[in-house]
Amino acid sequence: MDSWLSWTGLFWVAALAVVAGMSTILLTMHALAKSQHSQVPKWRSKNTPIHLLVVLGSGGHTAEMFSMLRRMSLNPSKYTYRTYIVSSGDNFSATKAVEFETTYLNQNAKENAPGGQATTGSYTIVTVPRARRVHQSFLTAPFSTIQSFWSCLLVLRGLHPDQQPLPSPARSPYPDVILTNGPATAVCVILAARLLRLCHFLCAGLSFNRSVGTQAGSETSATAPGHFQLRTIFVESWARVTTLSLSGKLLLPFADRFLVQWPALKGKKAWSGMRETEYAGTLVD
Amino acid sequence: MTAPLPVRSRPVPTKKVCFVTVGATASFHLLLQTIFKDDFLRALRRFGFTNLLVQYGKDGQSVWDDFLRRCPPHSEGRHGVSVEGFNFNPDGLDAEMRLARSNLSQGRDGGLVISHAGSGSILGAMRLGVPLVVVPNPTLKDNHQQELADELQQQGYVIASSCQNLAAAVGQGERLRAQMLAWPPVCSVSQRQQRSLEDVMSDELGFLD
Repeated sequence: MDSWLSWTGLFWVAALAVVAGMSTILLTMHALAKSQHSQVPKWRSKNTPIHLLVVLGSGGHTAEMFSMLRRMSLNPSKYTYRTYIVSSGDNFSATKAVEFETTYLNQNAKENAPGGQATTGSYTIVTVPRARRVHQSFLTAPFSTIQSFWSCLLVLRGLHPDQQPLPSPARSPYPDVILTNGPATAVCVILAARLLRLCHFLCAGLSFNRSVGTQAGSETSATAPGHFQLRTIFVESWARVTTLSLSGKLLLPFADRFLVQWPALKGKKAWSGMRETEYAGTLVD
Repeated sequence: MTAPLPVRSRPVPTKKVCFVTVGATASFHLLLQTIFKDDFLRALRRFGFTNLLVQYGKDGQSVWDDFLRRCPPHSEGRHGVSVEGFNFNPDGLDAEMRLARSNLSQGRDGGLVISHAGSGSILGAMRLGVPLVVVPNPTLKDNHQQELADELQQQGYVIASSCQNLAAAVGQGERLRAQMLAWPPVCSVSQRQQRSLEDVMSDELGFLD
């Protein structure tokens, strides 16, 4: 038998693979959490069109989300384009989104600008596969999560079959800001957003190096997310009073802003040195 | 000169509704079984309720059918309470929750809503200002509904109850109606210093105004 197939050889190969795998995961986690901490633009002109992406979940999450959007009186002339992500089989959330758009936002638009119909109809509802059903085991959840994750990547890049090309004033398919309150799908969406930002961060570095030599690489930046896009805001569900939800625990290191609605959750953090949760008070109505 | 209005006696309410909802997402058979028990229906009767309306959910059909078989209309087992049920209403439950509001022109006295402790149902009932008893579903992941129910009870917005104590909670609900708090709370000074969701979103987008 060849020597490299011996047990010791196998052991070393396995050990190397484990170390390599672990360090890749750790590096990716670190890069995702640390690399793009704050690249909010210093100033943005008042009439810039904004693409808002809202992640809806099952019953309570959706009800809370629209409750928050009503309470903040979401302004459709500021957030000019809205994309709603719903999980497959969740007709309730899709119905609620249509209801919110057609009754609430239309009414607001009429009150704010009589005769102005520029904002109506500027939204899409996108369906992605479920990451985890209410009573699904945590053992099978990873597989459905991967499938869901891929869908979310497509949505963020504007390539999902449910999506149409954005109206002309938008510069790129990437949403400017992502708002969610903690259904399982939110984990996929926020991680996908950070991954895209990381990719862009790395690609920008590469193309910069290349363009120093060859003056190329300007076309990639036209479709890549800008520094200030894909900002993520996670609002912990109003239903969580003293403990963070599982989505919350997973996303605490990754969301750009992490808001909590009960004082007992104020100042929690994923590990020492990380950013803390922000107490925002009750955001629902 | 106007003729004096005819003096009408105020209509006496003849109806008092208790509305029970188990929500849309998860099943909650324990709550359904509890409200069809004798001691709960007897408690309703004792406090003057005439109607019980039940939203039993997609998975609750069997419990509902079982009750219909056991206690057909006007049978002894209903303790004089008129019981109706429906599966689920895709338009939301606001209309059903309003039945628990006092409306003298329709002959309705102030009633009660009993709900699972899901945030959507709780917010819906609190927004409408109807007295609410919430029953956390202990079978959900780490029983997370309990903490919300306890906190809201402590603040005086709802009555939190388990299935075992539901009959007693009917009486507590009667007392809650006398001292209802308005929802959403008026912003206190401490909360005004917090940043609203709109502020946070503007921050992230780089809007300064």
